[in-house]
Amino acid sequence: MIYKILLTVWMAIIIVAAFLYAEAATGFPGETSRILFFHVPQAWVATLSFLISMIASAVYLAKRRVKADYLAQSAAELGFLFCILATITGSIFAKTTWGAFWNWDPRQTSIVILLMIYGAYFAVRSAVNDPDRRRVFAGVYSILAFVTVPFLVFVVPRITTSLHPENTMNPAHPGMDPKTLKVFLGSLFAYTGLFVWMLRLKIRVLTIEGLREPKFMSRKPDNE
Amino acid sequence: MFAVTTLIAVSFSIGSFRIEEAERPFLYSVLLWIILTFSALSGLARSFVKEEEAGTIDVLKLSARPQAVFLGKLLFNLTLLGALELMIVPSFILLMSYQISFPGFFIAVIISGGLGLGAGTTIIAAMIARASTRGALFSALSLPLLLPLMITCIKGCERAAIGISSAGWPEVKIAVAYFVIMITMSLLLFPLVWEE
Amino acid sequence: MFTLNVSGIGKHYGETLLFRDISFQLNRGDVLAVAGWNGSGKSTLLRIIAGLVRPSAGQVGMFFNSEPIPKESRRRFVGMVAPALSLYDELTGLENMEFFCRVRGTACNRNDCLDIIDRVGLTEHATKMCRDYSSGMKQRLKLAQALLHKPPLLLLDEPGCNLDSKGIEVVQEIVSEQRQSGMSVIASNEKREADYADRVINLSE
Repeated sequence: MIYKILLTVWMAIIIVAAFLYAEAATGFPGETSRILFFHVPQAWVATLSFLISMIASAVYLAKRRVKADYLAQSAAELGFLFCILATITGSIFAKTTWGAFWNWDPRQTSIVILLMIYGAYFAVRSAVNDPDRRRVFAGVYSILAFVTVPFLVFVVPRITTSLHPENTMNPAHPGMDPKTLKVFLGSLFAYTGLFVWMLRLKIRVLTIEGLREPKFMSRKPDNE
Repeated sequence: MFAVTTLIAVSFSIGSFRIEEAERPFLYSVLLWIILTFSALSGLARSFVKEEEAGTIDVLKLSARPQAVFLGKLLFNLTLLGALELMIVPSFILLMSYQISFPGFFIAVIISGGLGLGAGTTIIAAMIARASTRGALFSALSLPLLLPLMITCIKGCERAAIGISSAGWPEVKIAVAYFVIMITMSLLLFPLVWEE
Repeated sequence: MFTLNVSGIGKHYGETLLFRDISFQLNRGDVLAVAGWNGSGKSTLLRIIAGLVRPSAGQVGMFFNSEPIPKESRRRFVGMVAPALSLYDELTGLENMEFFCRVRGTACNRNDCLDIIDRVGLTEHATKMCRDYSSGMKQRLKLAQALLHKPPLLLLDEPGCNLDSKGIEVVQEIVSEQRQSGMSVIASNEKREADYADRVINLSE
């Protein structure tokens, strides 16, 4: 409860600060660079949840604990959501700076493939009826998908050149304005907090749903 | 059959002179890989479904080691892909009068791409056989995993056709790396899928 | 010395309970019959023992000289016949046997395969395509497949199905010979087949 309130306040502060406190970076038309405070944390959360989902899948395959599968599924669903948000905010930025919402920039290509992988992951889950088999297949698919990601992130962007701003907006870049850096890190923190909160909610929902799965009674009831 | 039909449809409707000379190397390599991938997918999906439908999958489970089953199916799929490429690629080149500057590089891309295609889809085929809805699932699951490979191979064929520097054959290396990683992961994960 | 130990096995599909608390132990020479109405889970129980289906509760233990046998090496110890297990239609009877010899990695040559085929009375049809076999001939070939690697545990699900009186005799011989070398579990509602057994489990009770 307290977590929820703190998170709300913190996010509100970040949103205000992103528009009023931080200054727009030079080299971008108008105020467009402010999208940094939303787009990058979304992309970060999408990546983080993809990673969590894959690790949880591996843990499930090794230990066969249902909890691990709940985590994998929840993280995948949230990752998908944040992936879509990052795609939308990214293409708004693309429209204002490169002139088109979509132009198959390597970054856009990779995020579309990531969305497809998530879609396929949900397709596996919906195509298998038996719950145990569903969990194993989803886990196997998520690990397979994960090993193809390095090919996306490293191989594809290298072949064609990217318009994606890398240096001017990189927080590690020494040229970044200290105010911008503060808000950016705050936003990263806020988004991660939001993600953790949503993740815990989703896991609770799955756990409650899981209770409805028929449980096996190994001993006969007394009245029989 | 699917392969021949698409090949004829594509070459008939596009012909060899409809596309600008400068665009040809790129567009032709895209077309070639689309034909190859989709005809491969329609054949590869069957490898485990066949066993499931004939009711032989359980006897196989009772008698063979999972890794042996996987490697056997992979070998079968790779043979199938080899035959498919042998049939499609030369006829595509002839029908579309596709000019290739570096034939050696081109052939290497085709072969390594085929290897990657087989390695990436065999374990998916095993999962499909145990799923309740099969329909389009195989393509839906395979394509996201294959996209990086396809992009690489399209690029490789384009470069081989134009004849821009192909020192070190980077696309071939990527495709071979994909092949090796997919086989390693599949060998690790296949027993889990097989025993479900 | 091979022993089978089944303890507390239960299985449900969704909300339907098939059976629960099935426990028994088999040693060399034992023949167990599993009886029950259609749908009572006879085949499922055999499939669970074979490792094809995961039980919802309980364990199947196999031991060799009291050493537990891990799941991945159990296939050497189990031979199974069931209506749902089919052989390859596009091979001949002999080719089927040779194929299973090879995937099992057991050292058996063509003569061993011919011996097995002779034992189930298919010598005349050994080089015929299985596609052209009658259902009784297919059943005989399935029996041959289960015996190929001389398993100490035979799981026979409706072994007499589609068989003529001579085929039934073959089954009877197989079960009594199996007493010397191992054990068998027979799932059947046939009175005759239950008579081979020295113990009966009824899943409908």
